[in-house]
Amino acid sequence: MIEFDLVIRRYGRTVAVNGLSLTIPQGELFALLGPNGAGKTTAIRMLVGLLQPDSGQVRVCGIDSSRKPREASRLMGYVPDEQYLYEKLSGREILEFAGEMHGMDRTTTREHIAREVERFELANFIDNLTETYSHGMRQRLVFAIALLHDPKVLVVDEPMVGLDPRSARVVKDLLRAEAAAGKTVLMSTHTLALAEEIADRIGILNHGQLDFLGTLTELRKELSSPHQALEHLFLELTNGHPLPAAEKLSS
Amino acid sequence: MTTAAPLPPVGLPSPEAESRGFLRLEWRILRTQLAQGFAKSRLRYALVIVLSILLWFGLYYLVLEGFHFMKGTLPQRIHEQIVQAIFNMFFFALFLMLIFSSGVILYGSLFRGGEVTYLLTMPIREERIFQHKFQRAVMLSSWGFVLLGSPMLVAYGVVAHAPWYYHAMMLPMLVAFVFIPAGIGAILLLVIMHFFPRKRIHLFTLTIVLVIGVTVWCFWSLFSRPETDLFTPRWFQEMLRRLQLAQEKPLPNWWLSSGLLEAASNAWSEGAMFLVLLIANALFFRELAGMFAARIYRKAYWEVAGLGSPPIRVQVGWFDRALNRCLGFLSPPVRLILVKDVRLFRRDPLQWSQFLILICLLLMYFTNVHPVSSAIRVSQWVNIVSFMNLSVVGLLMSTFTTRFVFPLVSLEGRHFWLLGLLPLKRDSILWAKFLFSLGCLLVPCGLLILLSDWRLGIPPMLIVQHQGTSLLLCLGLSGIGVGLGARLPVITEQSPSRIAAGFGGTLNLVISTLFIVLILVLTTLPCHVYLARQMEPVFAFSGEAAPFILFWLIVGSLASIIVSVLAALLPMWIGIRTFRRQEFH
Repeated sequence: MIEFDLVIRRYGRTVAVNGLSLTIPQGELFALLGPNGAGKTTAIRMLVGLLQPDSGQVRVCGIDSSRKPREASRLMGYVPDEQYLYEKLSGREILEFAGEMHGMDRTTTREHIAREVERFELANFIDNLTETYSHGMRQRLVFAIALLHDPKVLVVDEPMVGLDPRSARVVKDLLRAEAAAGKTVLMSTHTLALAEEIADRIGILNHGQLDFLGTLTELRKELSSPHQALEHLFLELTNGHPLPAAEKLSS
Repeated sequence: MTTAAPLPPVGLPSPEAESRGFLRLEWRILRTQLAQGFAKSRLRYALVIVLSILLWFGLYYLVLEGFHFMKGTLPQRIHEQIVQAIFNMFFFALFLMLIFSSGVILYGSLFRGGEVTYLLTMPIREERIFQHKFQRAVMLSSWGFVLLGSPMLVAYGVVAHAPWYYHAMMLPMLVAFVFIPAGIGAILLLVIMHFFPRKRIHLFTLTIVLVIGVTVWCFWSLFSRPETDLFTPRWFQEMLRRLQLAQEKPLPNWWLSSGLLEAASNAWSEGAMFLVLLIANALFFRELAGMFAARIYRKAYWEVAGLGSPPIRVQVGWFDRALNRCLGFLSPPVRLILVKDVRLFRRDPLQWSQFLILICLLLMYFTNVHPVSSAIRVSQWVNIVSFMNLSVVGLLMSTFTTRFVFPLVSLEGRHFWLLGLLPLKRDSILWAKFLFSLGCLLVPCGLLILLSDWRLGIPPMLIVQHQGTSLLLCLGLSGIGVGLGARLPVITEQSPSRIAAGFGGTLNLVISTLFIVLILVLTTLPCHVYLARQMEPVFAFSGEAAPFILFWLIVGSLASIIVSVLAALLPMWIGIRTFRRQEFH
């Protein structure tokens, strides 16, 4: 479970996240949407321990991610928007390193690697140096690293960038399957169709504030546009004035 | 795709297990890099190894001769004092530089880059991430120290007939010593980043100014004596007094030099005591830095990451406008590309600051070369040193073209969609880069050589000859750099330093060095031989040799002009042919 409790984060004078309060329960696939500079990546960086909130708390399964970042990260798998892979290691070697750092013994690591290789169809290139991987191969390996230790929470920042249709399908199915298996999945994306297709709930972040929180049906109801696509609703919401409900949320 | 079956949760690794994991990681990366290097970059590796060996033995023999000279000419007591002072000063300077360099390297690796972002999102102890980066920083900042320090110490051991344990203690002492300034640098960095993250640029600038200031002060205080006193007993005493700062007993450089000298003089127990002292302090500072990291590294990272980067507004400055006007005689495409390259170069201080530091060091040396040379009173000194200075400036320019000019065409690779859409001839792009390189080389090269010649007081004709040589060198080096850069581009690489470190860059450096040697042998060497003959009877040549020197001088000068023009045009022609056909994706 993920909890943002009245979180504020500034960069100098700019308020990137302004009083964000959000709870994502176990087994939910939550899509965080918002225009560029809305504060999505800042919120995620606070969640994974790369930033500290100026005020408020971010908790993962009840653990404060800035007070106990090690314990919190142990429960999380993180797929960043900009992947870092050791270029001079093979995919298998990176997976072994990740397993070791999560405290897995050699036998367990081997079993988990075999599982991820099968799940993400990595067999053809897992023993090649990652510097030779295409973007799609890299993305699949990053997912495998994030899921190797069976995290309770999966955090994914822009999962679809640069993926071919087949890889995109694999990722969508995976995210749904992980949520169905009881994991909490937080996904930040610009791909509205993706959120529309697989998310249980969506949150629209604008200027650091949560302008909307709920299901797509609830959003349509709020905007009195029962048959509109999410893209239209999103543009209406982020370009126009905040909804009364959103004002309520922000306050 | 199948859904994962849940597996039982596992505990986090112990510090030892974490350490083993990182060691395995480092070993695997090193193994791959070495295997790839020997498979793909044999020339570069071979050059690095051969040049390092040559440098090591060159330094070894130079220092060996120096120690022999001192031992043979100075009284025993003064000799010992001088050696101690040299060791102290050398290690003191390195001590200060290692604090600074390890801090700078650690800043880049602990607060920037993708690896640390990845590691901080893993359940890894902060002190482990720090130690991983710290050990790399120590390796990076100290290999030069070992390469420069070891020949001096081995040479001293040979001259002093040191026992075997002197040589055995040398490496552990050096390694232990390196950890102390590196640990201090790391602690300072963590404290600054945690408590004064907004002032980090100011503090960094202040440190650079302090380091330069201390260096200038050291030079000034050493060489500001009246020249007639040089190498007299009074002078030695005065120098020792001035070097007192580096000989303070609480400083690790004193422990290192004392330990080595004790071991060399057959006092193994004293040597071992200093070795233990160094190791204990190395461990202490390493642990202390680790403790600081455990407490404040992540917080410091948050502080730095939370600063954000304000947008940098730029505008066309007076320099660009003036340059544009000055280059009015060039065709508009060439002029505009040239101005663009100058602008990009100017706005990337990380790149040119290294070059600037080298130029400043040369400036400092050239400014101080006159008093020393007058005092030594060796008539050929001026002749030899001016020739060596010209060679050094030439070699510095060849490193500039390898580091900055050779990658220029490769760096256009990613942006070629823009240049490719413009109504430009591809040839113009290369000629603009050639002129950019020529302009960047001519000014510092000419001025540095002029300063050296002026300080040494060499005859006006030789000054003119040196300036002519400098022009030829710049022409050839620019042609080689741009031409080879277009012939062997590395379009996929974004980092100029990596492009320069590849096969093409290495080839560029080798060809440039050969070109410099050829030009110097053809034109400058006969001038200096001719001058030597006129200055000193002992260099007077027999009747048959004199016409040969004149012949060498005249034919060599003509040949050097031809070689330089060829060195400029031939690689450019080859480069242009390749560049016209080059496909950019």
